[in-house]
Amino acid sequence: MSLCGREAYKAELTALADGDPRIICLEADLGGPSHPFAERHPGRFLNLGIAEAAAVDMAVGLASAGLRPFLSTFAAFGTWRAAESVKLGLGYQGAPVVLVCPYGGVSGGWFGPTHHSLEDLAVAQSLPGVRIAVPCGEEETRAVIRTAAADDRPCYVRLARNEPFDAPFPPAGRGEVGWVHGPAGPTCLVSVGEKPAALCAAATEQRPELSHAHLCWVDAESLATAAAELAGSARRIVVVEEHRAAGGVASTLALMLPRHEVLGVNAGPSWPSEGGGHDDVLAALGLTVAAVLDAASAHAPTVIGLAGPRAGRATPVSSKASPGALHPSTTT
Amino acid sequence: MNEFDLARERALRARGSVVDMAASPTGCHLGGSLSVLDILVAAHSVAQARPGVEVVLSKGHAAAGLYAVLHHMGVIEDDPAPLYGRAGAPYTGHPSPKVPGVRFPTGSLGHGLAYAAGWALSRRLLGEPGGAIAVVGDGELQEGLVWETLQIVQAKRIGGLTVVVDVNGGQNDGYVADISPLTDLPARLAAFGFEVFEADGHDIEKLCALLPPEDRPKAVLASTVKGKGVPATEGKTGSHYVKISPARARQWKAVLR
Repeated sequence: MSLCGREAYKAELTALADGDPRIICLEADLGGPSHPFAERHPGRFLNLGIAEAAAVDMAVGLASAGLRPFLSTFAAFGTWRAAESVKLGLGYQGAPVVLVCPYGGVSGGWFGPTHHSLEDLAVAQSLPGVRIAVPCGEEETRAVIRTAAADDRPCYVRLARNEPFDAPFPPAGRGEVGWVHGPAGPTCLVSVGEKPAALCAAATEQRPELSHAHLCWVDAESLATAAAELAGSARRIVVVEEHRAAGGVASTLALMLPRHEVLGVNAGPSWPSEGGGHDDVLAALGLTVAAVLDAASAHAPTVIGLAGPRAGRATPVSSKASPGALHPSTTT
Repeated sequence: MNEFDLARERALRARGSVVDMAASPTGCHLGGSLSVLDILVAAHSVAQARPGVEVVLSKGHAAAGLYAVLHHMGVIEDDPAPLYGRAGAPYTGHPSPKVPGVRFPTGSLGHGLAYAAGWALSRRLLGEPGGAIAVVGDGELQEGLVWETLQIVQAKRIGGLTVVVDVNGGQNDGYVADISPLTDLPARLAAFGFEVFEADGHDIEKLCALLPPEDRPKAVLASTVKGKGVPATEGKTGSHYVKISPARARQWKAVLR
């Protein structure tokens, strides 16, 4: 049994810190009472308590002194509660702080909308220079943490909750397209995150003529490289992501690929406030295999809009976007 | 002339530079720049004498005061006053790291204190000397981020941090006492584990003795006068943001104190 992303993060960072004395592990009361980093490196572990904005700012202070802080809290709090701190510290200052956030998307399930995070990528994506990763499974999560530790760049890493995910594909690095199925045919499904990868895998089982590409690093700088490869492989790109339409990967790709048909299968506009597990809430949002297949069909909806009447429905996020509307960032 | 006479002379010259910035096309946050000016001279004097001590002006709207002090203390070479607010120059209305001597951008209130706490913590983690002097406004204490940070400082026993409060009594829309009074501030800071001192915020010699970061966190409540040094503006909340003519600047500089 592989480790879930949260545990893979802890294990990998703990191991990396053996050889890198600059690494500091910060928690905001959501890392659990027993943390392997705290046990192995007690002098470099601090649970700062329930104070996310101050925690991000203090991490920026530590980074300014040459340390490499990794700070973890739930995605909703790391991006929105601490939004201004993230903007000023990771964005404006380009501080090499790594924000590692489980509970991405609706992995919080029955915890409800306060603990869901369908808008976090929009926050991170709006900040030039911030690297963004949405790894799938243990191996890719470990690879992301190693990359983040090796590079002096601000990073946002979105994880799910406690469910392990056995990824049937190797880790995708920065700028890389992880081909899960294909490339073949004019339509390519692009999955971002574990559940979307599973949905796309199920869709290609039913429709083998569809391609399936997996993306891990989804900031504009990394996507610019991936977009070029995707553009050469398909005419229709269907991005499946556990996120709102606004600020998601589909919207970014659509601006980069104005001559391609870029569709988004996403969380739609609703606030899922009923119980159930991760899969139940995804189904309530309409993020299903059927929605993916619908988008991939030759008769996808043509109504353009970010808040369609049915959650999960494919929305062409752009068909004639301005080529200059979004340039990949290459600065810190 | 001893070191404190020199510091006072620098402060007087810096006040003149702040008045010059008020006479720029943009004007500047004059009242708070003049109230905090002696604190900044003392803080930077302490930092220049001790390795690893970082001064963070958390009340970043007093940027004019900071630029003036850094110039007259030799950190900023060219006079920033003629460049204040100008296109192509780094002397924005709130300081950025593009300015020599500025490590963290401030102005969105509360963040500077947390950056300073992070810097102070870094000294402990790296085993290096130094600490941080965070200069905050009394109005700034209304920000929740300030109290989050103080909570962490106490909980994690972060030493090497001096928090200086520029108690000038004013904020953008009026008096702090009218808008959101700071009830029993010394006791509140003491409850967060700070050793609390009250001082005249214009007594540079006294401030130089109080400000050096030590093992235990310190808070210095520095009583100041908004608009200090320009008789026409002293104690007036209307001096918060001022734009004056060059002729008025000459008048004010002639009577600086």
